Amino acid sequence: MTTRKVFFAAALAVIAHAASAQGDPKRGEKVFEECRACHAIEKGSNGVGPSLHGVIGRRAAELDDFRYSPAFKRANITWTRQNLDAFLADPQKLVPANRMPYAGMPEAKDRADVIEYMQRILK
Amino acid sequence: MATRLKEVDAVIVGLGWTGGILAKELSAAGLKVVALERGKMFSTAEDFQVPQVRDELRYVQRHELMQNAARDTLTIRNNPNQEALPMRRLGSFLPGEGAGGSGMHWSGHTWRWTDMEFKVRSRYEERYGKSFIPADMTIQDWGITYAELEPYYDKFERVAAVSGKAGNIDGQIQPGGNPFEAPRAREYPLPPLTPILANEVFSAAAKNAGYHPFPRPSANASRAYTNPDGVRFGACQYCGFCQRFGCEANAKGSPHMTVIPIAMRNPNFELRTHAWVSKILKDASGKRVTGVTYTNVLNGEEFEQPASIVLLTAYALNNVHLMLLSGLGQPYDPVSQKGVIGKNYCYQTGAGATLFFEGRNFNPFMSAGGSSASADDFNTNWDFDRGKHGWIGGYNLSSGFNTALPIGYRPVPRGTPAWGKEWKAATAKWYQTAMNVGVSGSVMANRYNYFDLDPTYRNAFGQPLMRMTFDYKENEHKMGRHAAQVINDLAKSMNPTRLNEATARTEPWTVVPYQSTHNTGGTIMGTSPRSSALNKYLQSWDYHNLFVVGANVFAHNASYNPTGPVGALAYWTADAVKRYTKNPAPLVSA
Repeated sequence: MTTRKVFFAAALAVIAHAASAQGDPKRGEKVFEECRACHAIEKGSNGVGPSLHGVIGRRAAELDDFRYSPAFKRANITWTRQNLDAFLADPQKLVPANRMPYAGMPEAKDRADVIEYMQRILK
Repeated sequence: MATRLKEVDAVIVGLGWTGGILAKELSAAGLKVVALERGKMFSTAEDFQVPQVRDELRYVQRHELMQNAARDTLTIRNNPNQEALPMRRLGSFLPGEGAGGSGMHWSGHTWRWTDMEFKVRSRYEERYGKSFIPADMTIQDWGITYAELEPYYDKFERVAAVSGKAGNIDGQIQPGGNPFEAPRAREYPLPPLTPILANEVFSAAAKNAGYHPFPRPSANASRAYTNPDGVRFGACQYCGFCQRFGCEANAKGSPHMTVIPIAMRNPNFELRTHAWVSKILKDASGKRVTGVTYTNVLNGEEFEQPASIVLLTAYALNNVHLMLLSGLGQPYDPVSQKGVIGKNYCYQTGAGATLFFEGRNFNPFMSAGGSSASADDFNTNWDFDRGKHGWIGGYNLSSGFNTALPIGYRPVPRGTPAWGKEWKAATAKWYQTAMNVGVSGSVMANRYNYFDLDPTYRNAFGQPLMRMTFDYKENEHKMGRHAAQVINDLAKSMNPTRLNEATARTEPWTVVPYQSTHNTGGTIMGTSPRSSALNKYLQSWDYHNLFVVGANVFAHNASYNPTGPVGALAYWTADAVKRYTKNPAPLVSA
């Protein structure tokens, strides 16, 4: 992880209460099971959804080897912890008409934990 | 002239659930396996993405995942005195095509059939006497027991990610499950799906009536799940597009995302798509089959694939058709009642009521394939006395939604005009307010319900079509009337604003509209070569290196959906084939 990304994540942790650094990555790994049917954690391994390796800090629809929906291509967002939190809470609200078949993760703690897992493990 | 290919250990004809299970199991056991599939390969990422998978026109009207009736179909008649005519468009049942087969577009309902079916004749005779079974009702015991199959049911439920609630674990009745189910060794791999309003309304009324409602077990993952083979399932999204559609969330247990990819990673296994098997070949001794002939439908090239073992695992109807086309075994004759190939074809019956509750919103567009509450008081409940009613079999009572299509699902009270302004007003008014109560009923085998080759009509390969002779008999009429009464009494107890009452199906059966894809029989398993085509290991009595797997082995049809025993029997047969390879001989002496 670059210094810039660490700084960025730390700064966000202060700003975004819901996605605070209090997340528990171990629990987050369990929560991430919900994502694993479609998303691999290995680099370059795309399934129904794109690989989530290094997703935090990445631009939406950035991978060359995955066919994104027009909604993600148009989205013009970066997967900051804050954006990821908003997206996971209600995927269709942040990126309307996206194709991810997932209704959302209503619990803020689940989101914080899974984002912490993604931040630490999937770098 | 067919090109003769190198011999393999086993050739699999048709790659759905049964072919996929056998492909995975046998290639893992070290056999060289080739699967021939007439359709194409499917993947969730390429074929079932939203939004294009949400296309009622493409998948429901144009049958994208189904067989093309312009290439091959059946001829149909109700009784042997009629001339059968070809079914030129799919209707009443929808066989799938492609690697994954009907296992991609099913709803996931996964039941365990019990000894009430497997020992049907002996049990009814024992309880009600020999004369209780009508002379023309050719029901017979299957030669297998529930206890033998239990571990294989368990295996299939875990592979396919079945969500449900056990009702009987090792003889202990479990609250919330089906008290009439046979004992299970353990709980379902996943908890039941979240009930929808129709389930709750039905369950409350059913309990009031003294019935025992429970959530329907279904291969729709109620939460994220990894199966014993390491296949990851997403959680069901209750999208409302299950039956006839592939699942974009990998939440519906399907062969194309479970057993087939595992087989394909094994170098012992090879899949050839677009390969249409037209004949099974036999040797001069008449005791062994030697392989199959197939055509590459993309270029018309013909091949002969020799194999030490032939596994027929196509859709039930196509397995029987291939046996008849290949002259394997003695065709069944309803007059002399000799012969076994084509015998005991069975369908299913049903009845349903629609209940309208002004002011209530049932949200029919939000459901899983298995969003049903069921009750088996008139099905697997052996204490229910059929003697008083004079019919054999059973029906599963249920309510819920499964794929209430945006265009096709238009409930309106009876008497509403079928088109125009009034219809539009009625469909807008009642769409949200309707729920249903219905049954799926068994069909007992009958002497005059059977398959043979049609004398007139041929398929795209010039081969005779298979002829289906079928109608509901008095037994099913009686059961249907009983079911309609139970449904209507229950529906009235719920005080709906309007009610479309249930009626029994007593008119001659027709191939329209869609009714059920649960076709059974034709190459049945049993205890003797005189009365069945296959032994209890689904091995041909006549050709010991031929195994035929699918609902075509069922000696009659129960109320339940067939995929539970179809999957379990595929695993059961895989074990039998592994034993067979060590000592290639009949596994049961005739």
